[in-house]
Amino acid sequence: MSLQADSPVHSSSSDDFAAYLDAELDSKSSESSPKSREEEVDEEEEEEEEEEEEKVAQVELCDLESKRIKRFKAEISENLEDPEGSTSHRALELNLEASSSKEACTHPGSFGDMCIVCGQRLNEESGVTFGYIHKGLRLGNDEIVRLRNTDMKNLLRHRKLYLVLDLDHTLLNSTLLIHITSEEEYLKSQTDSFEDVSKGSLFMLDSMPMMTKLRPFVRTFLKEASKMFEMYIYTMGDRPYALEMAKLLDPKKEYFSAKVISRDDGTQRHQKGLDVVLGQESAVLILDDTENAWTKHKDNLILMERYHFFGSSCRQFGFNCKSLSELKSDESDSDGALASVLKVLTRIHHMFFDELTTNLEARDVRQVLKTVRKDVLKGCKIVFSRVFPTQFQADNHYLWRMAENLGAICSKELDSSVTHVVSTDAGTEKSRWALKNEKFLVHPQWIEAANFLWEKQPEHKFSVNQTKKE
Amino acid sequence: MFFHIILERNMQLHPRYFGRNLRENLAAKLMKDVEGTCSGRHGFVVAITGIENIGKGLIRDGTGFVTFPVKYQCVVFRPFKGEILEAVVTMVNKMGFFAEAGPVQIFVSNHLIPDDMEFQSGDMPNYTTSDGSVKIQKDCEVRLKIIGTRVDATEIFCIGTIKDDFLGVINDPATV
Ligand SMILES: [Mg+2]
Ligand SMILES: [Zn+2]
Repeated sequence: MSLQADSPVHSSSSDDFAAYLDAELDSKSSESSPKSREEEVDEEEEEEEEEEEEKVAQVELCDLESKRIKRFKAEISENLEDPEGSTSHRALELNLEASSSKEACTHPGSFGDMCIVCGQRLNEESGVTFGYIHKGLRLGNDEIVRLRNTDMKNLLRHRKLYLVLDLDHTLLNSTLLIHITSEEEYLKSQTDSFEDVSKGSLFMLDSMPMMTKLRPFVRTFLKEASKMFEMYIYTMGDRPYALEMAKLLDPKKEYFSAKVISRDDGTQRHQKGLDVVLGQESAVLILDDTENAWTKHKDNLILMERYHFFGSSCRQFGFNCKSLSELKSDESDSDGALASVLKVLTRIHHMFFDELTTNLEARDVRQVLKTVRKDVLKGCKIVFSRVFPTQFQADNHYLWRMAENLGAICSKELDSSVTHVVSTDAGTEKSRWALKNEKFLVHPQWIEAANFLWEKQPEHKFSVNQTKKE
Repeated sequence: MFFHIILERNMQLHPRYFGRNLRENLAAKLMKDVEGTCSGRHGFVVAITGIENIGKGLIRDGTGFVTFPVKYQCVVFRPFKGEILEAVVTMVNKMGFFAEAGPVQIFVSNHLIPDDMEFQSGDMPNYTTSDGSVKIQKDCEVRLKIIGTRVDATEIFCIGTIKDDFLGVINDPATV
């Protein structure tokens, strides 16, 4: 039936319903009903401005505290009274345009698709989106470079560097409520109130079905780090989650306001990049538990030991042991991962600003990071025994590289200068040599622990069990 | 700028609303549907101030819904290029600052902030003159000039400048 198809929402002006029906039924030719307002409204803005005055024929100017903008108002109201107002209004617009575009604008960025400098509508989408700062904001590459440069000077004057912080397993651990095990049920009665978020560490979120545990020491960490760094959050979680976590970590919005980057903001899938961070790479440090997320910025990265509080988190990473929550335990507050990394950050900051003698702007925090790292196992000479698969090229193995990055010398041959033999088996020839010659025999975890804790660990804590006789 | 104008809209109403309260029901639905929305032509509909005229309804086949053409008076707000506007600063950063005037989101880039104002980072980021006499930070009121507008279905974006005479901070709550 044509009546239905023609959707009388767009009412014809025929006033009599019967007549309307008749007309519709008689002539199947659907007369085009007058265009609805809704449709017209969406048309080009350029046209709108001209027509504005006619539509608004009986306009009253409400509430314009007039004195300030007298001239402008006068012109406009003149327009409104004048039936041919559109022309003079046009002229006004043109004048404004002319005055603001004396020199060609390079359109360094856009907000709501308009150039941030000349206000012109830009059709082409270029540059990088900075949705985490404000919806609708984009910046071109030149502008990003310019901002980084000016910001750098400002920051160095305040003796600060940039610090990019991951959320999950670095600053906190979250689990979906449905993944809470029976051994963790007790947590539900122990969650902290949202009344004073800054005092709590275990939260049941109301906006999403999740429970979040903040890593011990995190509040002190953020407070102290904020004195040395301008801090960003950068997570692979989505924006609502990231903002929710920022509220827990920073309830007073002292640290992360407009500096919460989520996967919705990244320019590459499954990768984190410093391109959306408005800081120069030579001044950025990153804390993250996932090395692979930062393939382009390994030199900026301080790898964190993963914080697994919840059982679901352990199992997600393939550990079958009991989680901290299931053991009703937690990481040490004063001696945990965040406390030790804070010491490292303090050290790097001190070196950068107080020990280096080069020109401040030429300094590179990545070099400082390398130097600090090289101190950890300085003076150790390591031989590996049965750690790498037989055909494996030893100096390509991550443990070998890690030990070298920590300042140790790695060797394939035993001699008297060797200080440590690293093995999982005390029965190997090299292991027995170590014991006989009073050298340290340690488990490979000794290196990893030193890497995470930025300190050489007591060897006796990493002794090797004799599993089988060779 | 605010305008008091007459607009028209075709309202569809379910038969359950018919009866002696038909007019009220139409008006209530109109407010719900229209207030707070934007259109490219008229800008943001602030409030409906009266119903001018309700035309005869048309019954839609099959559903029993009836469509009424309704003419109504309303106050709309729409920024124009060249207009001077007062707005509240919502965020300050190294790129410039964002401000709001009702539903309008305005960005003033640091290119369009006077050169003698410099960005200061910290927990309360701000732009300050070298003598410290003028400071733009969150929550203060600024007078700015619009140099570009874009009106969406739900939002109005503007580009603003304060690089001109008599523009800038008009009231800083921190100093009151
Ligand atoms: Mg992580
Ligand atoms: Zn431009």
